Amino acid sequence: MNKTLIEIKDLHVNASEKEILKGINLKINKGEIHVIMGPNGSGKSTTANAILNNPEYTKTQGSIVYEGEDISNLKTDEIARKGIFMSFQLPEEIPGISVTNFLKYAKNKITGEPVKIFKFKEELKKYMEELNMNPKYMERSLNVGFSGGEKKKNEILQMLVLNPKLAILDETDSGLDVDAIRTVSKGIEMFKNDENAVLIITHNNKILHSLKVDYVHVLVDGKIVTTGGQDLATEIENEGYGKYKIL
Amino acid sequence: MSSLSLNETPVRTSKSFNINNIKLTNLELPKVIQEFNNTQIVNASSKIIIEEKRTPISLKYGLGEEQTKQVQTEANQNYKIAIDSKVNKDTEINFNFDNNNNTLIDNIDILANEQTNATIILKYESSKELECYHNGVLKLYAKKNSRINIIIVNLLSDISNNFIAIENTIEENANVKYTIIDFGGQNTVTNYYSNIIGDFADNTLNTIYIGKDRQIIDLNYIAELKGEKSNINIEVQGALKDKAKKNFKGTIDFKKGCKKAKGEENENCMLLSETAKSIALPMLLCSEEDVEGSHSSSAGKVGDKELFYIMSRGFELKEAQKLLVRANFNKILENIKNEELKQKVLDEINWRLD
Amino acid sequence: MSKTKIEEFDRSIYNLKNKDNYDYKIQKGITKEIIEEISNQKNDPDWMRDFRLEALEVYNKLELPTWGPDLSELNMDEIATYVRPKTKLNNSWDDVPEDIKNTFYKLGIPEAEKKSLAGVGAQYDSEVVYHSMKDDLKKQGVIYTDMETAIREYPDIVKKYFMKCVPVNDHKFVALHGAVWSGGSFVYVPKNVKVDIPLQSYFRLNSPESGQFEHTLIIVEEGASLHFIEGCSAPKYSKINLHAGCVELIVKDNAYLRYSTIENWSKNMLNLNTKKAMIGKNAQVDWVTGSFGSKISMLYPLSQLNGEGAKTEYTGISFAGKGQNLDTGFKAIHNAPNTSSVVNAKSISKNGGKCTYRSLIKISPKAKNSKSSVSCESLMLDDISVSDTIPVNDIQTDEVEFSHEAKIGKISDKTIFYLMSRGLSEEDAKAMIVRGFAYPISKELPVEYAVEMNNLINIELQGTIG
Repeated sequence: MNKTLIEIKDLHVNASEKEILKGINLKINKGEIHVIMGPNGSGKSTTANAILNNPEYTKTQGSIVYEGEDISNLKTDEIARKGIFMSFQLPEEIPGISVTNFLKYAKNKITGEPVKIFKFKEELKKYMEELNMNPKYMERSLNVGFSGGEKKKNEILQMLVLNPKLAILDETDSGLDVDAIRTVSKGIEMFKNDENAVLIITHNNKILHSLKVDYVHVLVDGKIVTTGGQDLATEIENEGYGKYKIL
Repeated sequence: MSSLSLNETPVRTSKSFNINNIKLTNLELPKVIQEFNNTQIVNASSKIIIEEKRTPISLKYGLGEEQTKQVQTEANQNYKIAIDSKVNKDTEINFNFDNNNNTLIDNIDILANEQTNATIILKYESSKELECYHNGVLKLYAKKNSRINIIIVNLLSDISNNFIAIENTIEENANVKYTIIDFGGQNTVTNYYSNIIGDFADNTLNTIYIGKDRQIIDLNYIAELKGEKSNINIEVQGALKDKAKKNFKGTIDFKKGCKKAKGEENENCMLLSETAKSIALPMLLCSEEDVEGSHSSSAGKVGDKELFYIMSRGFELKEAQKLLVRANFNKILENIKNEELKQKVLDEINWRLD
Repeated sequence: MSKTKIEEFDRSIYNLKNKDNYDYKIQKGITKEIIEEISNQKNDPDWMRDFRLEALEVYNKLELPTWGPDLSELNMDEIATYVRPKTKLNNSWDDVPEDIKNTFYKLGIPEAEKKSLAGVGAQYDSEVVYHSMKDDLKKQGVIYTDMETAIREYPDIVKKYFMKCVPVNDHKFVALHGAVWSGGSFVYVPKNVKVDIPLQSYFRLNSPESGQFEHTLIIVEEGASLHFIEGCSAPKYSKINLHAGCVELIVKDNAYLRYSTIENWSKNMLNLNTKKAMIGKNAQVDWVTGSFGSKISMLYPLSQLNGEGAKTEYTGISFAGKGQNLDTGFKAIHNAPNTSSVVNAKSISKNGGKCTYRSLIKISPKAKNSKSSVSCESLMLDDISVSDTIPVNDIQTDEVEFSHEAKIGKISDKTIFYLMSRGLSEEDAKAMIVRGFAYPISKELPVEYAVEMNNLINIELQGTIG
């Protein structure tokens, strides 16, 4: 059985006509947790946005093959419905739409099946408890007036509810305190199984203290310069990116 | 005695709201325009050429037909100013009103050439007892990449009449900043129109006014955004006491094609007496989708909490009020870098709030 | 692919046309003879006949407004101002003629009546064809009937208030209304009676090249309360129809009135409506308005805060599509100390439609310690539409807290991307954002009307996105 979930080949991406990604290669199998680390501006978030085909970015070369299909030109919602989820660095605020209604609607779109409200609310409540979220947030407008940490937890909540095959977490740990990071790690562990995969994008490795990962990739100036295991993250923690920077 | 109807808004609203224009009655308009010979020019140079030369005028808005015509035909001070390079020192034109020079009809035409940079100060000043009449037109054309800073200071007496019509054309990447300190005049009426045609063109307009006794202040500001990513920012801070009255009409008009343009307008009026009156009409007109526009307008007396705090530090009520009004004006006053002029404006604020 | 609600909702119910099957239709135009004939047809008492003729004189003297939308396509010589349907006033739906009954059934009125209303009035063209109210309200002395019955049975109350709140010389279309008015509702809520379940009047115009001029007069006595809902619609014709209704609300000390409107006139309608509330001491009037229909609307409800401590809130949304010019807003006049007004206005423009928010907040010298806060938000859905904000703020005393904020812009691309990353199509994402934008208004409406409003939003968004 083919275990490859997604394979990115020689991906080049521009933002506002400037080349940000200069040939990324990345293969993620089912059951794996990958981490992309790198200094600010190296192209980490661009990688996540390119997979979801954010119209602000343009792919100039390469391919993204997901479950055997090239998805690089699909629309964002089509990609999402195929089972790829992205947790946003800065989640958008949507006034007037409650967390519950939004997730119920999105769940229906992703699964194509009607959502039973009572069961759904129970499930939501359970996840919120696990994530130390105040259940009152269920009825609040999506992300409106949420603190930074609450927004990040709400992203993890969405991941759990929508249950994708590939979850891309873009800087989900940044700006969080130790307790919140632990909660997020817990969320990832709850989500993780042999049939799905996680891609964590981060510029520090705090989250790796409470989570075991399979691969660490170092992204510098639009290219993956090295790949290793959890040890590589420790090395970066101690020595920084200096040695990988192109002089 | 005559009556004038001035400062029509670009879009009319219900007549009963009394804001489409201002009607001034019992106005003594000068019949014969005498010469005006007390003008002082400071820091003219080869980089900024000031000629006494009449330029024909046509205005899209202006204050009204009669006022515009008066400048067209009877101006007694005409200046054509050409800015040719970067000028470091402020250039000042001081119109000093006195018994022999109490009527000024000025026509000022400024051309800022590409890549230039200059500050021009226009000061209109009289003694407190002198009755003056001022009606002026100021036209500015700011070419590509120019940065022009204009400061207009009205320090005329409260028995004067002050009329100014301003029209700007702002090209690509040009930056035009106006600071208007509007104090004097039984009636002081300003029309300001900016035609922001260039991409990335930027216009800021900051105004401070204080109304006392029965002063009438009428401001009609219009900014049309046409260039992509162009910007207008209007900030008006004022205080009214006694039976003073202010009309503020501020229009930001997003014309079709001004994609990603931004417009912001903020108007605040501090009411220092129960008989002062403040009318505001902050308009946003929009025919383009991809823009960001906002306005805010507020009115009320200075905050009781703030007053209490300051008085608890030993200030008496009037001093405390002054301090709070000054605090609101401070950001705009910082635009005036000339310390001598700034002191003059501060003294005037103190006198007016006494 | 799952279907969205957009496809499920059917606009055609609003467009259902019945044959122009009237009992009497007056000749087109507006002359003294025509007005006298309306009086004859309606069996007016003398005072009303005189009133109409005086109003006509005022109408002839007044000019069209010099501001706002262009009304030049209105030709009164092409409008029949009185159309009597082929039925009398009924108090059972069974007695209403089949075609008319069908229309109201399709609009869901009798069903809403059973489920969530305490009383219903239904007007078809110029006359009310159905009126009914729950018995317990009758027992408490609540009156809810058509204006014609009110003039016959409660002449003293009607005479005391009729067009006193909105004077005939207010503007040209109020004068026209005074001359040709017909139908509408009269509500009287006695002292301290709380009407907890809403009353609703529905106005349906079927006849082409005609006008509807219903008059609504509501008196809420001291300490009483009421929620009144008004709905209106018409099928679309190629020629202009005119609606010039008038609403007068007298809300006495310590009383409360909520006045909700879902307006969905057809897009050949000129909607030149006038609404005004006189609000007593510590009383409150809340307006909730959704404006979706009409070719041109000019509508600015006025709250006159006459008693100390009086309050008012306006919550409104306008949605202008192709060929529509919706000039709407609010007026509050603070005439007494400690009064307050709160405005939350939203508009959506798309497909070449124009929304204008026009308002007046006036705080008179008597209104010490008054507060007013205004918030306007406009959403542009494309670059061929127009959205203007024209608010006048007239502050005449210092002991006030006044603030006004307005914003204009489009739906951000980032927000659309966020929602699409959760599996929503671009259309669904935009529709969801627009519904969220309208939520502060829909949450103020009873559930069925909030659903109707969301459906109208979905209809309006159809075919314009993507």
